[in-house]
Amino acid sequence: MLETTDLRKVFKSTVAVDEVNLYLNKGESVGLLGPNGAGKSTTISMISSLSMPTSGDVKWNGESVVKNPNVIRNVLGVVPQEIAVYEELTALENLKFFGKIYGLKGETLDQKVEDALKIVGLEEKQKELVKNYSGGMKRRINIAVALLHEPEIIIMDEPTVGIDPQSRNYILEMVRQLNEEKGMTVLYTSHYMEEVERLCDRIYIMDHGKVIATGTQEELTSILSSEESILIELDRPYPNLVKALSGLEEVLQVVEHDKGIKLIVTKGSRLLGKVFQIAEQEDAQIAGINVQVPTLEDVFLHLTGRKLRD
Amino acid sequence: MKALFLLQWQRLRREPVLFFAMVLMTILFVAVVGGFGSISSIKVPTVIDDSVSESKKEFWLERLNETDGYSFEEMEELEAREKIAMGNKPFALLVMENNYQIWMLSESPELTMLEQVVRQVYMNENRLATVESVVDDDQFRSQVENRLSEPALSVTTEMVDNDNAAPTYNHQIQTLFGMTLFFSIYTIIFSLSKIAEEKRTGTMNRIILSPVKKWQVYFGHVSYSFVLGILQIILIVLLFKYLFNFDVGESTGALLVIIASFTFSVVAIGMLLLGFTKTQEQLNSVVPIVSVSMAMIGGAFWPIEAVSNQFILAASKVNPITYAMDALKGVSMYEQGLGELLEPIAIIVLIGVLCMGVGVNLIERRS
Repeated sequence: MLETTDLRKVFKSTVAVDEVNLYLNKGESVGLLGPNGAGKSTTISMISSLSMPTSGDVKWNGESVVKNPNVIRNVLGVVPQEIAVYEELTALENLKFFGKIYGLKGETLDQKVEDALKIVGLEEKQKELVKNYSGGMKRRINIAVALLHEPEIIIMDEPTVGIDPQSRNYILEMVRQLNEEKGMTVLYTSHYMEEVERLCDRIYIMDHGKVIATGTQEELTSILSSEESILIELDRPYPNLVKALSGLEEVLQVVEHDKGIKLIVTKGSRLLGKVFQIAEQEDAQIAGINVQVPTLEDVFLHLTGRKLRD
Repeated sequence: MKALFLLQWQRLRREPVLFFAMVLMTILFVAVVGGFGSISSIKVPTVIDDSVSESKKEFWLERLNETDGYSFEEMEELEAREKIAMGNKPFALLVMENNYQIWMLSESPELTMLEQVVRQVYMNENRLATVESVVDDDQFRSQVENRLSEPALSVTTEMVDNDNAAPTYNHQIQTLFGMTLFFSIYTIIFSLSKIAEEKRTGTMNRIILSPVKKWQVYFGHVSYSFVLGILQIILIVLLFKYLFNFDVGESTGALLVIIASFTFSVVAIGMLLLGFTKTQEQLNSVVPIVSVSMAMIGGAFWPIEAVSNQFILAASKVNPITYAMDALKGVSMYEQGLGELLEPIAIIVLIGVLCMGVGVNLIERRS
């Protein structure tokens, strides 16, 4: 349905996207996961025909989007990272304007506007100025505009950035319904792995402009099938403890985080006794310990040596 | 395209402050600099020389104040000289028994007119006084006044070639058109800056992804700015014509054509600036520099005839304000018709077409 071939974008001397190959089947929900600056937004900008690739191609149902952008524009809805609506207008006025530029009018326009408002749950607030909306409501009207013309495929570029957990949950549930109940194809970019884990059938992990891994969540985490992670909660940072644990043969990686330390270790290594022993030697107070199966975050860490939100 | 055009009006309805601020600023500046109605006469500090007797003092002031356009106010010599030295007054008049002097700061059209007016008053008075001394009749002056009010023969003078006609300079009209054009530049280019704003907020990308063509997007914005600019200029001209009795001439059609061509060229210059600047902030900081320079060079603040600097005069030749002021003053002060104004109008449109072509190209290259 949608396919990119060796997609590449170079800005002066910077390679923003490097030979990206990905595909989306009809009705699929695909995630594009990567840290800030990984090239996700540039990739979707080329897929949506907003910018021309330096080389490579994007095809929609076999037709080149690069040669003829209109093949995708009529069936595409884009939710940009920024709030791309007129904040001095009401939600209703915004939706009516964007509906009109898609050729909707009269009763059809009114009906589509009503449907879009219903999907994003803003019927009650439709006559309020967008500038008076909360961050979450602004994100929702941003999505509603993209749904207005009932696209076959929707591309969402980090649609939950900077909002509260409740609004985020609402949006994630809405995306899930659009995909599962309305059969809409979704390309969802994020640097929150839990969002991608929750929503997407398949995942592409990007870093430094390249796709570094791809597959279902299970396939990706199986990269670390021979490993497991140990989360150690500490009352404060202990630099010597990190140093001492890094020296253990079974420990593959040590990552410090705000609550303590995460160890990536060889699966089955009986390490807990040693951990407690070293902690006692370093006079470190362990508040909790948890052994986990690998997550996408761990996969990213394994592949790049960095955390997703570094 | 219609939706895009109407959207801009909807946005203006929600945020009309800038438009009304520019209208208000124009009214204020025309009122302060040009003056309303009778207040508009130019005040001339008038010093009476010691050689003039007390009884003659009132006589001269009365004679001088019978003329239109100037108001002669008696003042002490020291005060008058100080006002000129401080730049508060451009000139002052020293009235002597059989002569006069004009003290001035610099040459100006108002000064030329003042010289003519005062010379005429003195010439008339000298003639009357000479005849009066010969006829020795107390009723002589009243008889002359009666005869002048009911002349036996009226002579009308018409100039065939307007270029040779004596200029009937009107300071109010100069200020009205100058300030109106100047502030309209702000309104027009700031309204065009919505294009840069739409690029920043991402709404432009949304529109580009819709079935709307790119030329329709630009046309929606450009036509809105064009209509808004014309509306502002017409609103102010009508306001001063009907509320404050400014004489803007009889040829409404010619005025409209000049205003429309000027607005088009400013819209085009706005597009050119959009092409040169990367962000809305950059554009907003460039607009005051460009508009003030254009107004100064084009003779919006003072008559271009008062400028002698060759560089400024050369720069004024590629400035639409120069031609717009020339044409607008031609209609209102010299009663010129559309046929006589085709040249300045054609130059304004040409500047507009060139700027629009280059501007749209630059914008497209940037995107």
